[in-house]
Amino acid sequence: MRIALRELVRRPGRFLVVGGALTVLVLLLLFLGGLLDGLYLNSTGAVRALDADGVVYSDDARQSFLRSEITADERADIEAVDGVEAVGGLGFALLGVQIPGVDEIADGAVVGYELATGSLPEPPAPGGAHADRQLADEGAEIGHEVLVGPAEVPLRIVGFVDDTNYLQQGGLWVEPGTWRQVLAENRPDAILAEGSFQSAVVRIAPDADAEAVRAAIDAATGSTETLSQAEAIEAIPGITEQNATFTAVIGVTVFVAALVIALFFALLTLERLGLYAVLKAVGGRSSTLVAGVIAQSVLVALGAFVLGGLLTLGLLEIVPDGIPLQLEPSRAVSTLVSLTVAAVAGALVSLRRIVRIDPASAIGAGA
Amino acid sequence: MLLATREILRSKVRFGLLAGAVGLLVFLILFQQALFGGLVTSFIGAVDNQDSPVLVYNAQARRNVEASFLLPDQVSAIAEVDGVAASVPIGESTYTVEAGGELVDGVLFGYPLDDPSGLGAPTTLVEGRLPERPGEAVASAADAEDGFDIGDVVRIAADGGPEIEVVGLGEDLRWSVAPTLFVDYSTFEEAQRAVNPQARVVLPSLVAVRPAEGIDPGALTARIDGAVGGVESLTNDDAVSSSPGVQAVNQSFQVILALAFGVVTLVVAFFFLILTVQKAKPLTLLRAVGAPTGYLVRNLVVQVVAVMALGIAIGLGLVFAVRPFSTGGAIELDLEPATVIPTLVALTVLSLLGGAGAIRRVVRIDPLRATVDTSSELA
Repeated sequence: MRIALRELVRRPGRFLVVGGALTVLVLLLLFLGGLLDGLYLNSTGAVRALDADGVVYSDDARQSFLRSEITADERADIEAVDGVEAVGGLGFALLGVQIPGVDEIADGAVVGYELATGSLPEPPAPGGAHADRQLADEGAEIGHEVLVGPAEVPLRIVGFVDDTNYLQQGGLWVEPGTWRQVLAENRPDAILAEGSFQSAVVRIAPDADAEAVRAAIDAATGSTETLSQAEAIEAIPGITEQNATFTAVIGVTVFVAALVIALFFALLTLERLGLYAVLKAVGGRSSTLVAGVIAQSVLVALGAFVLGGLLTLGLLEIVPDGIPLQLEPSRAVSTLVSLTVAAVAGALVSLRRIVRIDPASAIGAGA
Repeated sequence: MLLATREILRSKVRFGLLAGAVGLLVFLILFQQALFGGLVTSFIGAVDNQDSPVLVYNAQARRNVEASFLLPDQVSAIAEVDGVAASVPIGESTYTVEAGGELVDGVLFGYPLDDPSGLGAPTTLVEGRLPERPGEAVASAADAEDGFDIGDVVRIAADGGPEIEVVGLGEDLRWSVAPTLFVDYSTFEEAQRAVNPQARVVLPSLVAVRPAEGIDPGALTARIDGAVGGVESLTNDDAVSSSPGVQAVNQSFQVILALAFGVVTLVVAFFFLILTVQKAKPLTLLRAVGAPTGYLVRNLVVQVVAVMALGIAIGLGLVFAVRPFSTGGAIELDLEPATVIPTLVALTVLSLLGGAGAIRRVVRIDPLRATVDTSSELA
């Protein structure tokens, strides 16, 4: 073991090969992970911010907010269900946002809501909006009057909220009347009846069985589909496909990393067969030798992780704005874990060869 | 040349491992490219394969079809612009539809069948015919098995929602990864009224324009934008490539691919560098007994090419092995020779560049060293 570590310190050049390749792979892994997180968080923020125990859609809306309509009658039915503590209307309108002094039109999601949550204050006064921090990054400030949609409906920004975007569009949270006006003026072809919302957010009493209450809501209205908040997140267009695709690509990349490590240490072991035989002849055990290889591989992987991480941070500075890259600490941890596992697995490939070394070959006996 | 191939045959495991690693990387690259191709086609195939040389959006829609609608006076003003030979309204929206006995997402693209220009029609018909009357549709062939085959009837799930019979199938006609139906504009209007009974009007999402003889589509877009307020015109190519999502996905994939190419180059470079350093002694001896540098370099190049060839074969094999599982899924792997071949050529060139480090070492070998004991410096 000590020999292995000393070799690392004295001849770092030898490990440049595998270290360099792993560094690029770490960069690739963190980039892919950051992209997945950025896409996921920016698409689902609005739904995650709801603190909902249930999200109600029309049963023919296929869990799409934009195609759903919960009428005032349905809402009354929902409120009458046992275990329902509070019901709030919810509606979206995806529109362009003109920020004063900014040429480019920003992407916005105007959300009409009624219930305050942990991350959302009470709905502002008519004409006001709580804007997502993303819009601040694009130049919006408190007190600004932004113009929404082709009809240029003015909304005054009264404050900023975090992590409330919907489908990569900056959230603008408004009271129901304002949302209805934005929708009516900008989408004359998609108007909802007075008192209707696209969806309803349900809070369920803490002592009630949430699953049963959701079922009871659908039974009571006969025309709705109620999802848990987690299910509503999954139902956002593209989220499931996105997760599956990126997870597959990340998996293949980790596999390639393990293979690169295996290849390199198999080569290194081949080179050292004679040396290992001598070590075994003077009493070194196979387990010690294997542990040395594993230690080297893990340390090289750790070094590559640090270097790759730094490169990713650098890359973060230069990627175009269009790429929704977001680096989360949890992603760094999971990348580190999978890389370490790959390092150990890759090093173990040389196990058989090391165990089979015959100490006698050190003095020329046998192969 | 024999030396190179013999060495490979004698150390199959070593070269096999490298070829395996390269194979996996080639697979990773081709898989991502195919995925990207499939993703993009599934997202914007309907506009890509629609007869619409120029598309006019609402300027506020940020090139997003779903967010775009045009007012009647904008539609008529576009038709008046000098250089416009023909223009038709295009309606697009996503609905819950009943197909094959199930409720699924479905997209309608409505275009006027009675317009002689043919604008808005799908261009990739592979089976059946184009719609000839309201209530008929061409569907995306990828969804034929899911209740969108010729003869199937798809219903817009809403009170009074129209029933649409599929009469033709077209290649790559999906929109936003959903089954897509090209119908008469009146069918689109009927569907819109059914799902939005409160709506005062039904507005077209876009206007498709055919430029007059000799008018460049690119120049026409500027002319339309100048003449009509609140619109943004794009050529079909621009509409496809700058479609929201596609651009972000495009940039992301390019960075990922660049990194993957870098990994291949590095892996190959380091492998041959190690190999050359290991062989320094015998190579020096070969030089001392008269083997020309060119011969040794050629050996190296042959090995790089051989490893790449095997790696590419493995990578291609893997892609083809995985491909059948993707059909019918949300996204189909799209393997185009036009992207695959340049990729493979680029990989081979990059790996040869990667081998340059090893070649440099071979070139710098001093035959004289064969006469001294070099074991101490080669360890």
